[in-house]
Amino acid sequence: MKKRIVYQNDEGGISIIVPAGECGLTIEEIAVKDVPQGKAYHIVDVSEIPTDRTFRNAWTWQ
Amino acid sequence: MGDSMSTIINATTTNGVVIQPDNSGSLVLQTNNGTTALTIDTSQRAAFVAGTAALPAITTTGDTNTGIFFSAADTIDFTEGGTACGQFDSSANFKFNSGYGSVATAYGCRAWVNFNGTGTVAIRGSANVTSITDNGTGDYTVNFTTAMPDVNYSVVQSANYNQTTTKINSSLIRTQSTSACSISPHADNATTQFDCEIVTMAIFR
Repeated sequence: MKKRIVYQNDEGGISIIVPAGECGLTIEEIAVKDVPQGKAYHIVDVSEIPTDRTFRNAWTWQ
Repeated sequence: MGDSMSTIINATTTNGVVIQPDNSGSLVLQTNNGTTALTIDTSQRAAFVAGTAALPAITTTGDTNTGIFFSAADTIDFTEGGTACGQFDSSANFKFNSGYGSVATAYGCRAWVNFNGTGTVAIRGSANVTSITDNGTGDYTVNFTTAMPDVNYSVVQSANYNQTTTKINSSLIRTQSTSACSISPHADNATTQFDCEIVTMAIFR
């Protein structure tokens, strides 16, 4: 899948859900299942996620 | 066919041979000594004799010591060359030999995943996993498709960090729930978490 699910985690950073291609669920179904309950989330294209992870823990979502 | 006569039934029509019981009962096929070999009941179910490892109930022409037999109630057995090689026992345990030395219960891998934790984080292969969550540097959560029955499962994990100066020597379990497990690869000093090119995890229960 070329999509990712982004949400703000309890530590102040962001978590990014990477779907498993073989799981049989849509990206929306994975979001409902795997995003912690009550968290707002965004479905984005993988190209929107930086590949340089040097400062990964400082990432924020705007 | 309880007497000593043998009866040969030949197909005489293009429909082949049709054997029908009377309206009240099952179709029973017996061997020439009167032993029932196969019963087809009024619900169209075929019931075989129990058989043994040497003489399985369901087998194939020319290899009659290989097939399926039933050693006890609620039990299905498999045999090869006259030697039992597998079984589903009455508690739904699956047992097989496969080089173990005897037919013993096999404990299943209930989920596994191999993913790249660097650059564009991506799953290479998995089973019973809907996704992984990248929570930060060296901090990943594996989310199960079908939840575990409890949290007493075993987590087997490994990770590879692509630098000769730093060795990943531990991958810690951060949290463990029925629906997910979080892990963190650590380096030699055991305090720093690392993104790793290859992260693998398998769950046994």
